[in-house]
This record gives sequence, C-alpha cells and structure tokens, in this order.
Amino acid sequence: MKRLGVFICHCGANIAGTVDVKSVAEKIGKTEDVAHSADYIYMCSEPGQQIIREAIRGKGLDGVVVACCSPSMHENTFRKAVKSQGMNPYLCEIANIREQCSWVHQKEKEEATRKAEEIIQATLEKVRRNDSLEAIAVAINRRVLVVGGGIAGITASLDLAEGGYEVILLEREPALGGHMAQLSRTFPDLDPAFSGLFLKASEVERHPKIHLHCYSELEDVKGYVGNFELVIRKKATSVDRGRCTGCGICIENCPVEYVSQFERGMGIRKAIDTLYPSSVPNKPVIYREHCRYFIDGSCHRCEEVCPEKAIDFKQEDERISEKVGAVVVATGYELYPKEQLGEYGYGEIPDVIDGLGFERMLSPNGPTKGKIIRPSDGKVPKEMVFIQCVASRDPDRYMPYCSRICCMVTAKHAKIYKEQVPDGQPYIFYMDIRSDCKGYEEFLQKTIEEKRLLYLRGRVSRVFQDDGRVRVLGVDTLTGKMVEVAADMVVLATAIVPSNGVKDLAAKLRATVDRHGFLTEAHIKLYPVESSTKGIYLAGCGQSPKDISDTVSQASATASKIQALLSTDKLLQDPLIAFVDEEICSGCGICVEICPYEAREMDPHRGISMVHSALCQGCGACIASCPNNACELRNGSASQVLRMVDTFVS
Amino acid sequence: MGDNGVFVKRAMVIGGGIAGISASIDLGNGGYEVVLVEKLPSIGGRMLQLSETFPTLDCAQCTLTPKTVETGQHPHIKLLTYSEVEQVEGKAGDFRVKIRRKAAYVDWEKCNGCGLCQQKCPSKNPSEFDRGMGLGKAIYTLSPQAVPNKPVINPSNCRYFKEKKCRVCEKICPVGAIDYEQKDRFVEERVGAIITAVGFDLIPRESFGEYGYGEVPDVIDGLAFERLNSASGPTTGEIRRPSDSKIPKEVVFIQCTGSRDPERYMPYCSRVCCMYTAKHARLYKHKVHDGQTYIFYMDIRSTGKGYEEFIQQGMEEEGILYLRGRVSRIFRDGEKVIVWGVDTLTGKKVEISADMVVLATAIVPQKDAKDLAKKLGIKTDEYGFLTEVQRKLRPVETDIEGIYIAGCAQGPKDIADAVAHANAAASKVQVLFAKN
Repeated sequence: MKRLGVFICHCGANIAGTVDVKSVAEKIGKTEDVAHSADYIYMCSEPGQQIIREAIRGKGLDGVVVACCSPSMHENTFRKAVKSQGMNPYLCEIANIREQCSWVHQKEKEEATRKAEEIIQATLEKVRRNDSLEAIAVAINRRVLVVGGGIAGITASLDLAEGGYEVILLEREPALGGHMAQLSRTFPDLDPAFSGLFLKASEVERHPKIHLHCYSELEDVKGYVGNFELVIRKKATSVDRGRCTGCGICIENCPVEYVSQFERGMGIRKAIDTLYPSSVPNKPVIYREHCRYFIDGSCHRCEEVCPEKAIDFKQEDERISEKVGAVVVATGYELYPKEQLGEYGYGEIPDVIDGLGFERMLSPNGPTKGKIIRPSDGKVPKEMVFIQCVASRDPDRYMPYCSRICCMVTAKHAKIYKEQVPDGQPYIFYMDIRSDCKGYEEFLQKTIEEKRLLYLRGRVSRVFQDDGRVRVLGVDTLTGKMVEVAADMVVLATAIVPSNGVKDLAAKLRATVDRHGFLTEAHIKLYPVESSTKGIYLAGCGQSPKDISDTVSQASATASKIQALLSTDKLLQDPLIAFVDEEICSGCGICVEICPYEAREMDPHRGISMVHSALCQGCGACIASCPNNACELRNGSASQVLRMVDTFVS
Repeated sequence: MGDNGVFVKRAMVIGGGIAGISASIDLGNGGYEVVLVEKLPSIGGRMLQLSETFPTLDCAQCTLTPKTVETGQHPHIKLLTYSEVEQVEGKAGDFRVKIRRKAAYVDWEKCNGCGLCQQKCPSKNPSEFDRGMGLGKAIYTLSPQAVPNKPVINPSNCRYFKEKKCRVCEKICPVGAIDYEQKDRFVEERVGAIITAVGFDLIPRESFGEYGYGEVPDVIDGLAFERLNSASGPTTGEIRRPSDSKIPKEVVFIQCTGSRDPERYMPYCSRVCCMYTAKHARLYKHKVHDGQTYIFYMDIRSTGKGYEEFIQQGMEEEGILYLRGRVSRIFRDGEKVIVWGVDTLTGKKVEISADMVVLATAIVPQKDAKDLAKKLGIKTDEYGFLTEVQRKLRPVETDIEGIYIAGCAQGPKDIADAVAHANAAASKVQVLFAKN
C-alpha cells in the first residue's frame, strides 16, 4: 500500500476563511493509504515546506498532495521540496482549492469545504497512479535570432553579442535604424537622434558576432526553445553588396524619381537608393517596382556608371537556413494609416502632416534640410496647430489605448518650432498631458513657460482648408467654448499601431498578439519581455507603445533572459508528454495531422507514430483524436482521469 | 581586476524589492553567484505591501511569493537581509563591500521560524508595515510568508531592552535562538559588479498640513489603502476607516499630492498614482457596492499597456467620478472629513463631505539613497534619484563601470517597467562578466 501525505494550506484567510481546513485535514487523514495529513497557514513558506520535508522523512511517504493555490504558483516550489528528500518530484501533485474552490464559493462555506475534500480525494487518485519521471534534457543551440533592426533590435543584438553569443539580426528594410532613423532630436534633452543611433548601428555592422541580414524576412520557423530552425529570405537587392563601396554614383545617375515613404511623402527617392543618407549599411538596393530595367528593360544607367560592377539585375531572392536557440521579436510600430483619418483632412490637405512627417522636416538630412516650411507653398508657418490623441484614446472610432509618447513628442515639436520661428504661435489640443517619466514633467512645464505654448484641453471636431489656411475647429473644455484657429500648418500626433506583418510573424513563431495586433507578454508585470511561447522574447513597441528609454531597457531585458537561458549546456523540460503504446498504434497518422507542435511523426519502418519528446507540450490533442486509444499522457492517463472523475460523481 | 589579476564574476544586488529580486534571479539563472543585500529582515520590498496590482487586479502576494521563494531557494543567490552596505572599495571586477549585518537579537542559524516567539510576545505597537494601522509585535517578521522566515527584535519596542523585563521570547523559544547580547557584525564580500535597486519611499506625511494628513485619522495615503485592502492587512481586507472602523460610504481620492507641484513639493510626476488610484477606487467599489468614489486629478496618465482601457472601464462601468482640479483644504467636521476643491471643467468650487480620504502622495527616493550613492561613487539628481549615464540609450548604467541601477531608485516606475529595467541591469552585468 502507498504511504501518501496531504498538506493543506490556509493561504492566510484566502482558503481557511472559506474552507474548514482542520476538518478537511482530519477527514482526509482517515483515508487508508494517507499516512500523514496536516494543515498550515502558508505551506509555501519555509516552515511550511519544512513540515512537508519532515513528514517525508519521518513517515517514509511515497506520494504527496499539496492542497493550495493554482499549480502555476507553487507546483515548482513543492516539487523542489519533495525532491530535496529524495522523492521523485512528479509524485507530488497540487490540489487547487483556492482559485477553483475557496475564491469562487466564499458565501458557501460548507459546500466549499466538501468540494475541497473532493478535490483532494481526486488528486490522491491521480498520485496513486503517478509514475516516477525524469525531466527531459535537450541540447541547445547557443545562437539567437533578433527580428527587427530598430533601436530595440540593435540594443538586444549588441548586448547578446557582447555577452559572447552569436546573433542573427534580420531587418526587412535595406538598412538598420527603424523609426529612430527618422527622428530629429529626442526628448527630454533634445539630443540629435541620428548620431546616437548611428554609433550603435555601426557597432552592429562591425561586430564579429552579429550576422546582419538587411532586406530580409523570416519565412519559416520550426522547432522549440533551444532548437529553432529558421528559413530566412534575403530579398534580391540587385546590388552585389560585397562589391559595392557605397560611393553613391548610381543613385546620382538614376533617372527615376518618386515620392519617398521614409520622408513621409515630402521628399523624393530614386529607383536605386539607400534607405536614408549615410544609412547603415550604406549600400543601395534597386526598388524593382520603380526601376525601368525591371519595368520595361529600357534603362541600364546604374550598371553603366557603377565603378565596381556591383549592379546585378539577375540577382534572385536567396533562402538561408539557420539554427538558433532563442528569438527576440522587435518589430516596432507604424503610425495609424492616413487614409482612415478623414475628418482631420490628413492626406487631402497638404499642410496637414503627421508627427513623423514633422520629424523629417526638422531633420538636417530631411527633405527641407531641417527648415520648417509648409509643404504646399514652402512658406514658414506662423500659426501652428498640434493635435494630440489623433486616433488614440478613441474607442468608438479608432484605438482605445494611449500611444504613450505623443504628449512628449508634441511638446518637443512645439519647442523646436518656437526656437526656429520665435514669432510663431503654437497651439496644442490635448486630452490629458501625459509626461510621466524621469524629467518629462519638468521638460514640459519649462517649455510651456519659456516658449509660451498654448495648450487647449479638448478634442478637434474638424480640420478643413479655407483661403490658403487650415482651419481647425475644436472645443476648449476648460472654458466650455468653441475654438477656431486659422493655422498655416497642422501636425497630427497619430496613434501608434503594430507594424505590418506582425500577425503573420507571430503565427510563425507561435507567439500571440492582442486584439490590436501588439505581441502579448507572458505576464504583464512579472514577465514583461517573455512571450507565452518558451524561447520567444519581446522588445520594444511591437509589445506596446513606449519611448526610446523604455524600449532600450526592455531590449536589454530580453538579452538578460536569453543569456541566462543559454548559459547552460542542456535545457530541462517537463516530461509530462504524450507516449504511444506501440502494440496498439495502427499507424493511421491522425495524430501527426492534428499535433499543433509538429511533435508527432510516423516511423516509416515500423509504420507506427512516434512522439518527439522535445517538441511535445503535453496538450493532449493526439490523445483525444486517437481512434484506438493508443496514446496516453504521462501521469495523466485515461485511467487516472476516470478515477478522478469517479471521485466527483460518486 | 583583482590583486591577482582575477576578474571576480560574482555580483551584488542592493535592495530586495521586485527590481532586486528580478535582477538576482536573472543573474543566478545565468550561472553567476549573487549576494542580495536587503536592509529589512526579509525580501519583497514595497510590492509585499500591495493588495492587488493594476491593470489585471491580480493579488500582489500571489504573484510575488513564487519569486521571493525562488530567490530564497536559488542555489546561486546568497541572501543578506537585515543588512546594509557600509563601505565600498575597488572597481569593476574587484569591489570589496563591507556590510553591516544588523543585530536581530535572534540567532538565525538556530531559529527554525516556528513563530512561537511572535505569538507570545506581549508588546504590541503600531506596525510600520501596516502604515501604522495594525499592531505588530516587538519580535516580528514582515509577513507570514517572509523570506527568510526569521524574526528580529525591535529594541525600541521590546520590554527587555526598555525595562530589562519580560524575556518571554527567550523562555518560549524551543531552540534557544534568542540572543539579547547580539551585536552588529561586519562582513566583507568581494564582487565584480553591483546593481543598486533600493526602491522608493512616499513623501513624509509631515509635509502636508493643508491635507490634514497625520492629523485627521481618516486621511490616509495610498500604501495605507493597500494595507486596508489586503487580506493579510490589519482589517483582513475589509475597507474600514481607521478612526472608528466603520465602512466608509463616500471616499475621496486625491492624486498628485506632493507631485507636479514645483512651488511647494516635487515638480515631477510620480508615474504610478493615476493607475493605483483608479485601482483603489475600483477595488473599493467591488467591496462597497453602494459607496461613492470621487477622484481629484490634474491629468489622467494611463500610458501603459491596457491602462487606458482600465481607467475607462472604471469610469463607465463602475461609476467612478473624476473631478479635474486641485484640492485646497481638508479638515475634520465631526465624523466627516470635508474636502474643498475646484472643478476646473465647470470652474466651480466643490465641497465633499467624505468618510475617508486617500492621498496619492509623491514617490521620493529612499532617505539613504544619497548616502549609498556617495559610498558607491555614483551620482544622484537633485531629489536623490540615482542618475543613469545616458537617459535614452544607457538607462541602467552609471558613470562607474560595474555599477548599475534598477527600478524606482532611478525614478518612479510601475512594476512592469521596474522588472524590465532590472532585467536590463542584469544583462549589462552578464555582458561585463562575459567580456572579462
């Protein structure tokens, strides 16, 4: 006969306030094979664990049930405690009598007490039939994939590379930098954005441990933590990057000009071009949709002028296979698409631009060389309206969330504007001013006072063109009056949304996104950079809007997690996975089809299905689908589950 | 580099709150030995005082305890609680840190944490952990789940130390662990890197005459409300006001108390108050269905993931009333607490006759943060927050190689940001160790 121990936790008043723990302990103690039954105020505390350890030693227990909170809290704690006494940790099970009992039956104390007892009895049925199991050791690949070459991806890559790990960094644009490359100066100290970024990006480019793939995307991912197999698609740049010296003669000579997205529609770009001047790497690509050679074969200009013979019209997309142990997703953000912002005149009125557009205007390497002039006629705007929360905090029409950085971005814009146009007047429409990080409130107050910024608390109802000016109709909720400003230019602080393609990428990585498309962390507070899939980590605005400082912290945080993960030789995985009774398996292959983790495979010689132990997550899909009951879960067999059910129904 | 040219790949983390814990676990999991120094008797920091956390309203203890337990059991983490850094010498790779291990008057080697001494101790005093609302014993642990679960004697409350009487704990202790003669001890630790995660305090209540704080018993601060709302707190989670233990039916919450007020208090925003006040109001409404909540605010700042939605839900579904404006005076009138303020949206004066007032007081650095910074040779700003070397691109590094900062010691931040910041500091330490 077994010698089982049952340990019932009060969880302060969380359980004991509803469940009569003493009577439960007493009743359970009368069960034939229960050699020890005890209760304690906090089983997870050190003295609580000591009670368990002593009982295992003193009573020679060979199975333990701890009745307490959810196993996601302390299963690990108690399994470690029993292991310290030489018991196999998988002979210890949790009976959840808090979340599944005391918390939901606070007003039914007697019923809750009876239910707690039943939950414990059912868990005892499971423990009676549990096998001793060993954790599965899996070899790990000590390389890391970072997706996204903005400041988040750059920071994570540098930390990891400096920590001694090889990094594969993917960026889908032709160069590093992300949105930070578009910024002029950054709040609150108004440092030039580009110089700081350029140093970091150059470090990435030079780093011997970082394999940089620009103009590249992740095409396919297989595998699991420690052992991901990747297929990377390197898009054809049509330029041999080994030969190209970045001299720029091809760009000068290219006859095709079109509107530049990087310059937010205000500058032009060539069919062969770099992403931005002095980009890292500073090598051009041919944008084939614009190139005359690719459209009708009519032009070979770049090929003719290139002194290094680097132009290669025949270049094709290349597919590279790589293996890594962990992945950082740092895919960044986009601004809300302008096509959908009709009432602000955005996209129709040329002098209504968005925040990134204004950043380009303020940038020394931008379309106006840093001069603030309105796009329609090149005049210096004397009355400027900035509108915050455009498409943010607007659950009925746009995004319900706050985009977090716009208040500071706008204050910075207004300040720089006043520095350049001292006789100009900026008006800022806002809902709440959100300057909640170190030095931000001070920056904002100082700017308001020194630069005489006019903040108007209220929403804008309409923006329209009239007589060469942009009229802004709004309401000032502090006076309750309507406001109309005849402005020369309007800058919209549009909402931050996840970048295109994140959903597809997340699906490939088996990571999840929320309803807006932001990547979901494992726990909003305690695991902010872990995804719910092991080995996949999240950094930057792909997870939610944040400023540069928070993005950099988060990126370094992913690097910390990964350095810790990869510091060992083997990863230990829970052995609570599926197994096959080879005598019964008919080899029908249904399990192979149904497995969401690609953990099932046919053995071609024996004609039966196998379980890939490192891939199996123990979800049970194969078990439910097997027509022959040839498949079972370790320590979760059908007979165990049925016995547990019997306890509840009898 | 050490004397013998060896770079010591061992780290010290100062401060055992959620930031220090997160950094320690990362470093421990990375295979490095960590010495975690905490000035209180056990780890957990401010988070241990919280009831539920925004925006998910999950129980703070339930999410924190697995972390404190993991820290306590981690084979690579050495806990030095009830300890303070006395002196720091050396440089990256070879810091020699002298640590004062304060006299607990309990031999922790012998003590088995049975708790009998605490049960029997006859001296009851207002508990600082419960913000003065509950009674604590002279021999105490911070919580029943304390890590480590070893008590200390506070001599200023202990009858033996005050009057040479009592000795109940000594008599009752089954393992003879009480040691009234214990003295502070000093130990030296050699480490290669240091993370400073000493957390925050709330602005002292003596500062707030006009809010009646400290004079009117039913005017409490945010941490006190956390304790009131906490199942392990002085009211076992029932919202009862301190003066007469009645359930308050009208509660006023006042944000930006001591924050964003450059003339009189702190010019900066304390970052977490908008969210915790919204949380307080919502939790109050969950427990007192017919109660009414008023929140005075300047701007509502709900910038984190899911935060704006949390605020909106509170307003729309739970009827929380937001008033945009400052409060000019709070005073007692019989059983009521009168709040005078102004609603800047209507331009009218507002008077509320409340049963209880909760002040969201400013976050300030720990009193001794400046002192510690001096010992470490790192900078602080004018308020005493530790200064990072570069605001945006190097947010966890200091001017001194090998010394890093994490959490609210650098500036106010919420739990998610404090954890990410601490993880980032741990990354920098791992990089430093890997390179040397």
